[in-house]
Amino acid sequence: MKRILAAALTATFLFSSALPSLAIERGGTMTYGRYADSLFLDPVLNDANVDIWILTNLYDTLILPTDDGKGLKPGLATKWNVSEDGKTVTLTLRQGAEFSDGSPITQEDVKWSLDRAKNPDNGIWNFLVQSIDTVEAKGDDQIVLHLKHPDPAILAALTVFNTAIMPKKAFEASDGKTMREKAENFAQHMVGSGPFVLKSWDRGSTMKLVKNEHYWAKGEDGKPLPYLDGVTFEVLPDDATRILKLKSGELDGAELIPYSRVKELQDAPNVDMKLFPSTRVADIIMNVRQKVNGKDNPISKPKVRQALNYAANKKAIIQVVTNGVGSPMSSYMSSATPLHTGDGKAVYPYDLDKAKSLMKEAGYPDGFKTSILVLAGSQDEIGTATALQQMWSQIGVKLDIQQVDNASRTQKYRDGNFQMRAGAWTDDIADPNEITSYYVYSPNIDAVHSGWKSDEANKLYEASQQELDHDKRAEQYKRIQEIYNSSGPTISLYESPYPVALSPKVHGYVQIPLGNNIFRSAWLDQ
Amino acid sequence: MSFASFIFRRVLQMIPTIVFILVVTFVLVRLLPGDPASAILGDRARDADVARINARLGLDQPIFVQFLYFVRNVFTGDLGNSISLKVPVARLIAERLPVTLLLTAMAAVIALVMAVPLAFVSALRRGRASDVVVRGAFQVGLSMPVFYVGLVLLIVFSANLHWFPVGGYGDGFFAHLYHLFLPALTLALSLSAILMRNLRAAVIGVVGAEYVDFARAKGLRSRLVLTRHVLRNALISTVALFGLQIGVLLSGAVVTETVFAIPGAGRLMIDSIYGRDYPVIQGLTIALAVVVSLIFLATDIVQAWLDPRVAR
Amino acid sequence: MKVVTGQRPRMHRVLFDLPATMIIGGIILFASFVLAFFPSLFAPYDPNAFDYGALLHAPTLAHPFGTDNYGRDMLSRVIHAYTIDMQIAVFATIVPVIVGTLIGAVVGYAGGLTEAFFGRVVDAIITFPFLVLVIAIVSVLGPGLINMYIAVGIIDWVFYGRLTAAEIKVQKRLDYADAGRVMGYRPSRVVFRHLLPNAMTPALVYWMTDMALAILLGSSLGYLGLGAQPPAAEWGVLIADGKNFMTTAWWISIFPGLAIVITGLGFSLFGDGLAEFLRTRR
Repeated sequence: MKRILAAALTATFLFSSALPSLAIERGGTMTYGRYADSLFLDPVLNDANVDIWILTNLYDTLILPTDDGKGLKPGLATKWNVSEDGKTVTLTLRQGAEFSDGSPITQEDVKWSLDRAKNPDNGIWNFLVQSIDTVEAKGDDQIVLHLKHPDPAILAALTVFNTAIMPKKAFEASDGKTMREKAENFAQHMVGSGPFVLKSWDRGSTMKLVKNEHYWAKGEDGKPLPYLDGVTFEVLPDDATRILKLKSGELDGAELIPYSRVKELQDAPNVDMKLFPSTRVADIIMNVRQKVNGKDNPISKPKVRQALNYAANKKAIIQVVTNGVGSPMSSYMSSATPLHTGDGKAVYPYDLDKAKSLMKEAGYPDGFKTSILVLAGSQDEIGTATALQQMWSQIGVKLDIQQVDNASRTQKYRDGNFQMRAGAWTDDIADPNEITSYYVYSPNIDAVHSGWKSDEANKLYEASQQELDHDKRAEQYKRIQEIYNSSGPTISLYESPYPVALSPKVHGYVQIPLGNNIFRSAWLDQ
Repeated sequence: MSFASFIFRRVLQMIPTIVFILVVTFVLVRLLPGDPASAILGDRARDADVARINARLGLDQPIFVQFLYFVRNVFTGDLGNSISLKVPVARLIAERLPVTLLLTAMAAVIALVMAVPLAFVSALRRGRASDVVVRGAFQVGLSMPVFYVGLVLLIVFSANLHWFPVGGYGDGFFAHLYHLFLPALTLALSLSAILMRNLRAAVIGVVGAEYVDFARAKGLRSRLVLTRHVLRNALISTVALFGLQIGVLLSGAVVTETVFAIPGAGRLMIDSIYGRDYPVIQGLTIALAVVVSLIFLATDIVQAWLDPRVAR
Repeated sequence: MKVVTGQRPRMHRVLFDLPATMIIGGIILFASFVLAFFPSLFAPYDPNAFDYGALLHAPTLAHPFGTDNYGRDMLSRVIHAYTIDMQIAVFATIVPVIVGTLIGAVVGYAGGLTEAFFGRVVDAIITFPFLVLVIAIVSVLGPGLINMYIAVGIIDWVFYGRLTAAEIKVQKRLDYADAGRVMGYRPSRVVFRHLLPNAMTPALVYWMTDMALAILLGSSLGYLGLGAQPPAAEWGVLIADGKNFMTTAWWISIFPGLAIVITGLGFSLFGDGLAEFLRTRR
């Protein structure tokens, strides 16, 4: 276990390799264009990426993820230690750290925050810290986690937004009868532990963060972070408008640039087009149940799924859908996810002849009719489906494209009432267990509602959740990926970076592979 | 019947309309596939989480029970809280509806300024070059999808000429006007084309009618004839159409609001529909219904003023 | 009765006396319908065929309208879109025109309670959140054009209704209506034989605008993913697809845009001509 002391670490990470000689300038407000507004800025009770990817700027966790999304660095805890049997985690709390109102961050706040995060009645993220049995404050500055069982992912879980440290007193003093009402009010008048604090919020339009004057971390210049005076988020749902606003200098950054415009912005003189490495994967998820809507389902046959896989030309899809920005997948999880296996080549290389013979073997030499659900208005999903429609017509499969809105789609696949759907996934934790619990481990959500099940994979997953030996766990995950990739319900299409366009005067901003937008070390040329 | 009682009667008539809309909306949104939990959780929706959220929101109750609760709350002035945004619906409406009202009002003014004079020019100089040019220009405006027109305007006037900001709403009333000019113009293009065509046809019809000849024969100056007789009569059907189109604009400016990143009621509505945010959909529907009814009332009054026989 | 100045034209001369606008509009519409019925005769390529060797090509002799990001030939896509868009223009509006005009005529003539009731129906329909309706219909029938016709139809008829009702109210106070009543005709005959033909002009003129509007509405719904489904080519969807390429590949969105403008022009010229023709024939 690495034990590193904190100060100035972030700065080292960001600037040591890339921009060694640049002198940091302080001040200024960075304006950042987002595709959608946040909904509910509560670390525990939120449900969506629009919240998650912002929250890390408002609340610090005990441990912080490194900028490559895989490692750990000190946050509100300066060091940590996992006991030999893996059942006790002892963390040392940072001395002198304060909330944005100047009150000290105490052991009581930490215990309260973690208890709230692991409460199974709170939100949808508590499963990430289910192994924690009790949280104990020990001595002057220690926090001890007593686990129900050894948990190889516990330290990674302590970097995830839902274990962020919140001020117990200020929270409980919020208006509201229930804890939930308090949370709703607190989220709008928050006191935080992160580098920024929410100042004002015009729903659907503008959210203003200002610097937390009491933030603990020091910058490269020895003074407290953040460098910026504030960050202003503007909600600009239309891609083209967001880009125009960046180009005209009204924004310093714009997220989710459509792939089709990446090349253009890379060539533009006043734009710094970033492609931040990500854990995002795009795939097709197939319903593998024997019968769908009372009819026999050809896709229930593994050979048919393999044929569809071979007939899907991923290279071509990467070309036409992501304009070459994406890369092929060698497993269901992204190559940035720890314990990923594969060589960077597509699991199923394009092979039309093989696809045809597999279809024959499966008893469908002339193909069949099937359908795919795509998110209404999503250019990526529509493009992918349109390309597949062309490709699969070569093996006689007639694909009907159905655009539906998100809620209808969720309902359809929760009911098992679909044949295929386009999907995408981004990890929230630097561990393979999250995606695997949804994609593979059938007791959770029926393997992304596909109806697919492998007893071997389920057992391996359960064992891996308590396996502390890194090599053994890697072995387990290797086997899980073998099983899933060869017979699973998905067609892995591509993984793709986060396309963010920045003004050239922005430095030190990063979106980590887990999606979090990190503004704590960002600064602007004045 | 006096004018006052005409208005009073019309106001009373608004009530059943609004109640009807409310009931249908209430039922219809609950019949849409999916529920707030599925909308919020998406791929990660687990049965237990969905059930827990629905129970907390009272959505596990029979629909008529939900409706009774809702009616009770409305009568106590409580429109409830947004499911996805966790803030009172009344506050959301107070923030977002005025934006759309201002946008629509500006679009209406711009459309009238463009349509009315040019319709007369076009009608009175029928078949001449100016008529052809005016109609051609309006036709192009009418035929372009708003998201395309909006983007072209943004590229030309905002990104290149820097005359206007690229989208957004700004702070303060004059900043709002400034930010809303291009989107209002975008909406006004098709609205003015519709009005222009209708008004032009009406003017041509009226100019040919005998009472105009009669007025001319009486020796009235032609400008007076134009304003007093032609305008008045030609406007009657145009005012009716105008009222309807404004009603459509109010709830239908979604695309314009999206392109110009305006935090208006249209976007709130579509986000709420996609999010199955029932309380917001219901509250916003009531608010829009009241506003639209008032606009219809206003157009009825204007029509009655133009032609007192309408009010009868 | 209105005094018509000049000679009433004889039938065989009618064609020559048609307003020029009507003839030009008619030619445009005729050509549009020919393209709509026989797109394959004119389209040089399969509109849905990908060509990975020709992604985002600018207009050339081989591809006069260029290609899109899948290498599909834009000329062929624009031509094939005529089939869908002319359907949208006609099918989405034809029922509303007929139903709306007839209801409007009755309401305008009857007045009183009927009119008050109709007014509330109009208010309710216009005020109703249109997108809730569209999404509800789509969720029942699945996405596609039929749903759009239904959704548009439910809303659209009230425009014709209100226009016609207002006009009938004006017409029924003119002398010739009284003449009809005095002569003892049944109200239905007065309304449909005498008043409606004179009161229909605003509705007819609006219809022509409305067909262009229907195409645009289809495009807005396409933008939201609720209109024509891929890979079908539809002008609005083509423009929406081309939006992201506006600065780098303008041809993807310009040519479908031109097609909408020209077709819309055809409808409105024809409509203006028709209005003029009806007026002078009376």
